[in-house]
Amino acid sequence: MRIAVIGGGAAGLGAAGAAKGVDPSAELVVYTADTDVAYSPCGIPYVHGKEIDSFDRLFLATKEQYVATGIDVHYETTVEAIDPKSRTLAVAGEGEASYDRLVIAAGWNYAKVDVDGADLDGIYEVKYIRAAMDWDKRLDSCKSAVIVEAGLVAMEMVAALLHRGIKVTVVDKAPWPMADVLDPDIVEPVRQAWEDAGVDMQWGNWVTAFKGDGTVTGAATEQGDIEADIVIIGTHKVPNNPLAAAAGLKLGTTGGLIVDSRMQTSDPNIYAAGDCTEIPHGVSNIPIQGLTGSHAYSQGKTAGTNAAGGTRHYRPVVVPWGLLAGEWMIGGVSYGETLATALGIKHLVGKAQGITRARYYPGVTPITVKLLAEPDSLRLIGAQMVGGEGIKERADFLAMGVRVGLTIEELATMENVYSPAIGALNEPISIAAQNLLAGL
Amino acid sequence: MGFAHWLRSNSEHYLAIDAQRRVGARYGARAPEKARGLREVFWRHIFTPAYRLLPWGIRRRVIAALPGSHRRDWPIRSARPRGPAV
Repeated sequence: MRIAVIGGGAAGLGAAGAAKGVDPSAELVVYTADTDVAYSPCGIPYVHGKEIDSFDRLFLATKEQYVATGIDVHYETTVEAIDPKSRTLAVAGEGEASYDRLVIAAGWNYAKVDVDGADLDGIYEVKYIRAAMDWDKRLDSCKSAVIVEAGLVAMEMVAALLHRGIKVTVVDKAPWPMADVLDPDIVEPVRQAWEDAGVDMQWGNWVTAFKGDGTVTGAATEQGDIEADIVIIGTHKVPNNPLAAAAGLKLGTTGGLIVDSRMQTSDPNIYAAGDCTEIPHGVSNIPIQGLTGSHAYSQGKTAGTNAAGGTRHYRPVVVPWGLLAGEWMIGGVSYGETLATALGIKHLVGKAQGITRARYYPGVTPITVKLLAEPDSLRLIGAQMVGGEGIKERADFLAMGVRVGLTIEELATMENVYSPAIGALNEPISIAAQNLLAGL
Repeated sequence: MGFAHWLRSNSEHYLAIDAQRRVGARYGARAPEKARGLREVFWRHIFTPAYRLLPWGIRRRVIAALPGSHRRDWPIRSARPRGPAV
């Protein structure tokens, strides 16, 4: 069996590895337009910020290791067309290539900033590692930067640029950072920290053009011009699906490929995984797109297993997430107040401020936990948190809580670890649940 | 971009702006910019209030009728077991 994979990111390599595991005799070919595979693009902002000393640390495996496992990776190779009827690909520089099963893991692009000057040199989309290495050298001589929209990558890049002493201006039409996802009370400590660090935050403003002659020298905005040595794009993810759409595969309302729990597309011989797909939400059943690297990898393993003749099912998602924004960690699961309000989902809110270790133990930091519950059943439907530490573990726990249908009563009476160095006497999740119940 | 994608893209964006106004006011945060132009006025002052008037059950049926992965086969969550495990 010949299995072709389009895309060499977490989903693509997850698919290839899983397929090889199910059917070691299968011929596995991965096509990637990138120069490398098996690295962590999510780590790039931390190298820029000098928290990680080298890009080399982001590589998870060598090219030789893939050769040794029998996965044939075609680097810097673009697939130009898919013909589902003849089960062939048109591969640039190679001609026609056949497949028995295909996995599309084409990933995502930043939403385009469609203004004059968008093609100028000096506009950086944080995505590919070799490009990031070049951009990193450029940052050495950079004194000022404009970040266009405060999306997820932008949150990390603000801290990275500040660490390098670069003056940062954030331009975003929204009223606060990551406003489509994050609640204003949760992101407020981050916004305040940026203000204290001298970040020029221009909320309610937007870019109308990029300025420069060949190389960008700044941005024209609705509220005036901003000079900058570099522009960083922080817009949201959009699925990279022109190839799939041209092949006639069905897309959903998000623009992501429609798949079932086996990650099978509308063509029975074609599977898909990662940011080019859409997955139903575990609370609302509304399909969503643009999840995390761990989601992409897990979906890839599901797609690869099934493409090779095995059986594996993916599940609707409730999306635990988290990130480091300077000194603060923020994160959550499923819906926050803003998203629930946007959709018109009725909800109750319980909130608590606590601490992450015993109050006397060195390194203790504050943490705020906000829980959302469905009013009739009091089932947990979402959460958001901000604190100095302990966000990831709580987000993972609460995600499982949402998935299995934990109620606020159960959370209010939860048991928790108490050990001065790693946990306080009162667990803020439990206190938030108790506060919600007290408000009924 | 097909009609369903266009509808979702716009409704998601403008419902989010309305939610930012409501939730922002609750926490004393900055409000979104006012609507500019006919397009924004339609989505923010006609579509959004109309959407909010619909009961959740109708909204859910409309969303469910749109094309997407939610209309394919997905595992249904099994009931939680009760009582001691052993």
